[in-house]
Amino acid sequence: MSKSLLVISRQAPWSGPSAREALDIVLAGGAFDLPIGLLFLDDGVFQLAPHQDAKAVQQKDLGANLQALGLFGIDDVFACSHSLAERGLTPPASAQPLGNEDICRLIDRYDQVITL
Amino acid sequence: MKFAIALYSAAHTPSSRRALLFAQAALAGGHEIVRLFFYQDGVYSASNNVVAPQDEQDIARQWREFVSQHQLDGVVCIAAALRRGVLNAEEATRYQRSAVNLEAPWALSGLGQLHDAIQDADRLICFGGP
Amino acid sequence: MSTLHVLSHSPFTDSRLDSCLRLCGREDAILLCGDGAYGLHSPALHTKGVKVFVLAEDMQARNLPLPDWADSVDYPGFVQLSIDYDKVNTWL
Repeated sequence: MSKSLLVISRQAPWSGPSAREALDIVLAGGAFDLPIGLLFLDDGVFQLAPHQDAKAVQQKDLGANLQALGLFGIDDVFACSHSLAERGLTPPASAQPLGNEDICRLIDRYDQVITL
Repeated sequence: MKFAIALYSAAHTPSSRRALLFAQAALAGGHEIVRLFFYQDGVYSASNNVVAPQDEQDIARQWREFVSQHQLDGVVCIAAALRRGVLNAEEATRYQRSAVNLEAPWALSGLGQLHDAIQDADRLICFGGP
Repeated sequence: MSTLHVLSHSPFTDSRLDSCLRLCGREDAILLCGDGAYGLHSPALHTKGVKVFVLAEDMQARNLPLPDWADSVDYPGFVQLSIDYDKVNTWL
């Protein structure tokens, strides 16, 4: 059986290539049909904020990559409720909000974890 | 125990040295390193063009020697490397760049190699940041 | 399942330790290295009751005393911790 991997993305989408490179790990894993989970934590939840405009800073739209998650078979997408609330964001439809205890159990459930 | 070691920081950061010392200790302890995977700014730790001041540790060179000596599988993420100007001869030719700063024992490859290493190893250990 | 959380940022300028303490389980442990070793001065870390390790060289470099609620490890000790715990979560 394949080992499962949880990627915890903590970076805002506009702080350099970090958020995109975290997502690339997830998409690559999905392309190989591996069991991958994705959790948005801390500033990472800003990736889920609605109506962001990548063109304003001449960047590529990370939202398009996020929408591709389903196509790559990545269905386990979560967001930290505490991080969302702290930043005044409402829980998005694209990620399941989880409380602290649930995140603790989530990390427990995966074989390996990468936090970046 | 089989380790996959991923490095996300440049040779001048304390975490690059920490990863190297961990890797050395793992081998000294009789463990196996299935692959080293350098991602994000970790690609700079594989650069052949780092010139450390004479009275400072040359971690990029120490990495090179460590990988060669133990014949480890040292993989540098190609997308992360190109973005940061770390090129081997093949990529420098492909993109018509004048400098080559990545040589053996390092190999450029894709993120699939990270996932492959995770599958193969008992533990994934990541190093990065300060 | 237990996790070894590895932190190398100073908790006085960075929120990683706060987030880690919020999410870590009772079986988990924290290894402080680099500037993360300054966490030995963080009251939050002590009061959480989670097992704490510190990389000996980083403690020594910073002239930090080892409190009775933490243990220091060298590199072979670091390797052993990564085996003793089911996985390692480095807060990059």
